[in-house]
Amino acid sequence: MDAPRETFYDVIRRQGISRRSFVKFCSLTAASLGLGASGATTVANALETKPRIPVIWMHGLECTCCSESFIRSAHPLVKDVVLSMISLDYDDTIMAAAGHQADAILQETRQKHKGQYILAVEGNPPLNENGMYCIDGGRPFVEKLVEMADDSLAVIAWGACASWGCVQAAKPNPTQAVPIDKVIRNKPIIKVPGCPPIAEVMTGVVGYVVTFGRLPELDRQGRPKMFYSQRIHDKCYRRPHFDAGQFVEEWDDEGARKGYCLYKMGCKGPTTYNACSTTRWNGGVSFPIQSGHGCIGCSEDGFWDKGSFYDRLTNISAFGIEANADQIGMVAAGTVAAGLAVHAGVTAVRKLSGRDDHHPHA
Amino acid sequence: MTRLVVGPFNRVEGDLELTLDVADGAVAAARVSAPLFRGFERILVGRPPEDALAIVPRICGICSVSQSMAAAAALRAAMGVTPPPNGGLAADLAHAAENIADHLSHFYLFFMPDFCRAEYAGRPWFEAITARFKAVEGSAAGDLLPARARLLHVVGILAGKWPHALAFRPGGTTRAVDLGETMRLVATVAQLRRFLERTLFAAPLDAVAALADPAALNAFAEASSSRGGDFAAFLRIAGDLDLQSLGRGTTALMSYGAYRGGGEPLFRAGVFDPATGEVRPVAGADIREDTSSAWLAGGPAHPAEADTHPAPDKPGAYGWSKAPRLAGEPVEVGALARQVVDGLPLARALIDGGGSNVLARVVARLVEVARVALAMERWVGALDPGQPFSTAAPPVSDAAADGLVEAARGSLGHWITIQDGEIARYQIISPTTWNFSPRDSAGVPGPLEQALVGTAVGERGAGAAAIQHVVRSFDPCMVCTAH
Repeated sequence: MDAPRETFYDVIRRQGISRRSFVKFCSLTAASLGLGASGATTVANALETKPRIPVIWMHGLECTCCSESFIRSAHPLVKDVVLSMISLDYDDTIMAAAGHQADAILQETRQKHKGQYILAVEGNPPLNENGMYCIDGGRPFVEKLVEMADDSLAVIAWGACASWGCVQAAKPNPTQAVPIDKVIRNKPIIKVPGCPPIAEVMTGVVGYVVTFGRLPELDRQGRPKMFYSQRIHDKCYRRPHFDAGQFVEEWDDEGARKGYCLYKMGCKGPTTYNACSTTRWNGGVSFPIQSGHGCIGCSEDGFWDKGSFYDRLTNISAFGIEANADQIGMVAAGTVAAGLAVHAGVTAVRKLSGRDDHHPHA
Repeated sequence: MTRLVVGPFNRVEGDLELTLDVADGAVAAARVSAPLFRGFERILVGRPPEDALAIVPRICGICSVSQSMAAAAALRAAMGVTPPPNGGLAADLAHAAENIADHLSHFYLFFMPDFCRAEYAGRPWFEAITARFKAVEGSAAGDLLPARARLLHVVGILAGKWPHALAFRPGGTTRAVDLGETMRLVATVAQLRRFLERTLFAAPLDAVAALADPAALNAFAEASSSRGGDFAAFLRIAGDLDLQSLGRGTTALMSYGAYRGGGEPLFRAGVFDPATGEVRPVAGADIREDTSSAWLAGGPAHPAEADTHPAPDKPGAYGWSKAPRLAGEPVEVGALARQVVDGLPLARALIDGGGSNVLARVVARLVEVARVALAMERWVGALDPGQPFSTAAPPVSDAAADGLVEAARGSLGHWITIQDGEIARYQIISPTTWNFSPRDSAGVPGPLEQALVGTAVGERGAGAAAIQHVVRSFDPCMVCTAH
């Protein structure tokens, strides 16, 4: 009874995007995903033949910085195509509908695409006072979130809020804001941390998921390996100065002008896994360390309560730093409860990503 | 009398709900609710003062630089330091880029799409406006988003990233741009001018900044009809729908003064009294935050002495926002207030007689874009790459200070108390807290609640576009409102 579902390519063409632009988009996506020379064909083929995967984008307790980052993706073509592709079937910030009409669209999309849509979540649910600190359409956000997750294919946790809790979860966490994996237990969740995540990382992740209909390879903490497998420090352009023991001592001092290392100013680059030092921000213009300020580690769990942002790291050695993200993740998941949660998440994700269990971080 | 609930609102930063009492097809009373609370004022207590610089931008993903600027200003006052000229210019440039980006997002993505609603089908402009501004599908977003992304390279170059940049310090900015980067800034600001002059205004910036009165504005709208321009398209709609009569506000208008990096602010500070047409100084000591209608405990207090204690079961309360009052009165803030206080003749003329309104708010915002873009060109030219961008700011163990700045949406204040080298108290009043404040202990509604009264909704009730126009004309930022 159902009419054949539209492919991404149908949607893209309907939006007036040319074949040439489409091919260019496929190459860019393939490059950003590290798919190699034949990748563009793979991406194009998938987009031409697979039915479009609807994406529902929800906002909880948050500041909308993730949306802001997303719509500013460096390549306007990427942004256009991704927006047309996912159509943001429901997104609070930019959609046309208002009020109960918007809620109706949400419910309709949920029923029509039951088990087939991707739920992208920006922000997180506060649990105190039965969720009263974030009321959306007359109901606690947490209720709506769990309901929408129940019928989804998979969930994307945008940013530090949805992934870890972020600053609203900082002590004393007045609203008991929690990462979404504390309330969504039955679906694979891909965490895309950062405050906000880098635009190209966001378009890369969403591009991968809607192209291939599954999650990319994840690390033990649920982050896509292709963007979160290296420390900022590993690829920092100031790294030679760290190794040479040349440090900035004061803001805008002589060392700062020479581009010395910001370790003594509290830089958390050595313990932060993110793509800032390679992909950079605002279309590759810069990133915090390039602005002369240390990294605050905004993609790491608990970055908001690890002492001052300006305290020097004391747990790194100058040479031979040989822990990887998964090992650090194991240490972080110290309590039994957290350990179980991580395990449950990983198991669910494996089912979807089809990853080789025996080599979790090859 | 019927009671309607409008919400959740889309195309608004954060969550927003309205409750309207409607009688005889018009709004008789309005209550606005901020249903989202995070508790930043409590989270900041007990932390090292300068950590506020990394936490407060995260109050808001669209006004993050404004929040940084207010925190830096408060710490600067506490420490008693003055940034070198380059630091002030760099901060103003980044702040201006964010504010213009916000104004443009508001116009293109949040405000104009409401004219594509079905109730306007049949208006002579409907088809053209729908093709241009319909949410997600219209052609305007494709023009705006790349231009806006390029504009925000200004923040990238000067401060590393946007949003949530870290480079703004009490002593200046951490990035000493070199000559090459200065040239990139010149090019980026030139690209902004090109977008504004070709797409938004279809006219030179100087001509827009010089529009002197409503007659000149009308002439501009008509002259532009042959060559296009989104601003003129809006003006023609505004004439057809009489937006000057919509969303009237009669409160005073306040500005803390904007862009102070060069010493004298670009737009001066003050409070404009519409009854007398006079501007008086802002008496910061007369600010109180009333919590009568908020799910918060405590009586009215000056922000330097106030606290934030949730009381979710409080009877009679209807949101998380406090109700700030200046000398006991609500005041309207924003681009219109800034331009009126600064004495821009066009802005004064547009509110003359009936008070602030939807047309005046939108026109002031866009004319401000032109004025600030022109200032950015001067500021880039004044940067001196050889000179310092930052000065030493010694830590302070005990102090109390405030940081008062102008965000895109209006007056933003941070009040900090430092004891034993830690934050002992931190209070924030953001622009939308002023504009969308709930009722105070005397039952006086906030500016939006007042402006909605009398709005004709007809048969459409809560679905009437007029409600959307009034609410959006203030450009609400709800995540900042209750923070």
